[in-house]
Amino acid sequence: MVFFYLISGLFIAWTLGANDTGNIFGAAVATRMLKFRQAALIAAIFISLGAVLEGSGPSGTLGKLGSVDALGGAFTVALAAAMAIFAIVRAGIPVSVSQTIVGAIIGWNFFAGKLTDFNSLFTIAGSWVTAFIVSAGVAAFYFYLMKLWINRSSMHLLEQDMLIRYGLVVVGAFGAYFLGANNIANAVGVFVPVTPFKDIQVGQLFVITGVQQLYIVGAASLVLGIYTYSHRLMGTVGKDLFQLSPATALAALLAEATVLFLFSSRALYRLLLSLGLPTIPLVPISSTQVMVGAVIGIGLAKGGKNIRYNVLGKVSLAWVAAPVMAFFFSFIMLFISQNVFEMEVNRPLVYKVDKSAVREIERQGMNIDNLSFVNLRSFKTERELFHELVLDDAYPPEEARRIVAICEMYPLQVKMETLHGRGLDNRFSQEQLDALQKLEERKFNRRWKLDKALAEDPAWQLTPEPKNQLEKDRNADLKEDLAILYRVFYQPEDKR
Amino acid sequence: MALLMKTTKFVESQIDTFLDVVSDSGTLFLLGVEDYLQGRIDQFEERLEQIRENEKKADDLRVAVERYLYERTLIPENRGDVLAILENTDEVVDNIKDTLMQFSIEMPEIPAELNDLWVQTTRASTAAVEQLIFAVRSFFCDLSAVNNYIHKVYFFEREADQIGEKLRRQIFGLDIDLARKSHLRWFAIHIEQISDYAQAVCDRLAIYTIKRQL
Repeated sequence: MVFFYLISGLFIAWTLGANDTGNIFGAAVATRMLKFRQAALIAAIFISLGAVLEGSGPSGTLGKLGSVDALGGAFTVALAAAMAIFAIVRAGIPVSVSQTIVGAIIGWNFFAGKLTDFNSLFTIAGSWVTAFIVSAGVAAFYFYLMKLWINRSSMHLLEQDMLIRYGLVVVGAFGAYFLGANNIANAVGVFVPVTPFKDIQVGQLFVITGVQQLYIVGAASLVLGIYTYSHRLMGTVGKDLFQLSPATALAALLAEATVLFLFSSRALYRLLLSLGLPTIPLVPISSTQVMVGAVIGIGLAKGGKNIRYNVLGKVSLAWVAAPVMAFFFSFIMLFISQNVFEMEVNRPLVYKVDKSAVREIERQGMNIDNLSFVNLRSFKTERELFHELVLDDAYPPEEARRIVAICEMYPLQVKMETLHGRGLDNRFSQEQLDALQKLEERKFNRRWKLDKALAEDPAWQLTPEPKNQLEKDRNADLKEDLAILYRVFYQPEDKR
Repeated sequence: MALLMKTTKFVESQIDTFLDVVSDSGTLFLLGVEDYLQGRIDQFEERLEQIRENEKKADDLRVAVERYLYERTLIPENRGDVLAILENTDEVVDNIKDTLMQFSIEMPEIPAELNDLWVQTTRASTAAVEQLIFAVRSFFCDLSAVNNYIHKVYFFEREADQIGEKLRRQIFGLDIDLARKSHLRWFAIHIEQISDYAQAVCDRLAIYTIKRQL
């Protein structure tokens, strides 16, 4: 059955290959500096390397689809996102794969009665504008550098051409490597805890783990996307939007790599922080929007006359249309999956306002007087309880969210074996693992109870009021670690 | 990388050799005309033979460069422009050869009093060719210098036109047969035309330079 579910993950991987390779090599192919088959080969090699060597350990761990808590739901959501991406890609327009997936996840949130964090949604929407503008600025800067070099250099035209060609290949290869490393989790990450592949021992040399095999299959699908469909999008970036020359194509590609690095490098973020310099926020940005921004930046730096604004309008519209389409596809398909195919599309969690929840709410300093109308009641969805809580302004939305989280019944059992078995233990420190070991076989019916039990050990203690960015980051990392534990240790009543 | 570097260096050397051949042909043309005017016909024929060889060599080099540029998809953005420059520059050599060959075939009788103007016209025309070669070399290696050389080509082309006009006026002022006047005029015009060809290449070169500049 997992193999069947995997199909939608592979479909997402295929759309990634078709869509994102165009962003990286589109300009090089459109300017004829690289032949399509050369670009496809380089992309295939480096995307696969990135996916297999680094894909199992990015900070996002199980990918954005990880928030969808049932495999049937993840399958449907991924399928909906992939269909929305495919519909747009068919029209020759590049889209943001991750933003489209977010659209599909919101569809799941609505279907499953989950609350949607609109703040994150605004951050993502804001990143469209940020990524676009910053990328345009950086590309214009590179363009002026390139202009200085081309116009003043005494290097032979043919040698310049050769350097630009190598630049396009090297930067493109890096781009492909990071595309594989960062995005493969979006496609097949959700299947990591249930990987159907067994470890393969290759002689006495090394072991190909089940997770690695999963990423290899994902990478293969991505490569298929490159060869079968990416050529459709290459012209849009390199030619239709604005006619790039090889030198400007390199400037655009460098700008894309720089901006993606600036906005996603934790190492840079921490370095700036440790030096006491202002940091660049780590926001999820789309390589598609960055690339289109870079091309427009170069177009504007050249006077802006030759930019095809109708193409830009079409592309921008698609950026809005893709997540919206994914939302509707997801909602409709989840309905069909659940009711026609009887798939479990979300975990059957309940939200109980019982004595222990009320005590915790009080302990967290919230007023419990207004709980009387929900007290001792059970709710089937987050949204039902949330609506009751915010009715007549009994609680502000932020507090209502916290109460919902406290009331959620989430059966957990600590089993170190599960953690080891899925190869997830290497992301925790030894102190953290020791603390977990002490709780072996313990059962918890709520997430915060596990948090509390773990917080007795300093390795798992959150800083109550973080004063600086370092403390805030540590808290964020710990919360991410805890989220992994919730997924891994989830143990429904009938399975206990 | 090494292979592409090797190909690049090879094509660069081919282009350089091609430009050397064109430049030599211009110089040989001037020397050939001087030999003809001084009556050193054997030496003149040797110059013509050298120019013939140069013309063939230039053709071969141009074709080889074209083939490399297309086969190895080098400079895809500027390939068409570079080929047009090479082809048009090659036409200058063809023109030089044709003009000198007509001297050899028709053996025009040039009155001695025209020698000075004849040489001056030829010098101006070949100077235009020489500056054209500098301009083309700069197009490949030093974009900022191209316009200076183009300006020089235009200057020598005008110079060739002016001296050529003076030459033709003198020809028609001489007390000789109209048929002979007409014959000499034809040769004078052909010498002027060499600089016209150089100018035509520069007209294109100016556009290609703008295209190449970011």
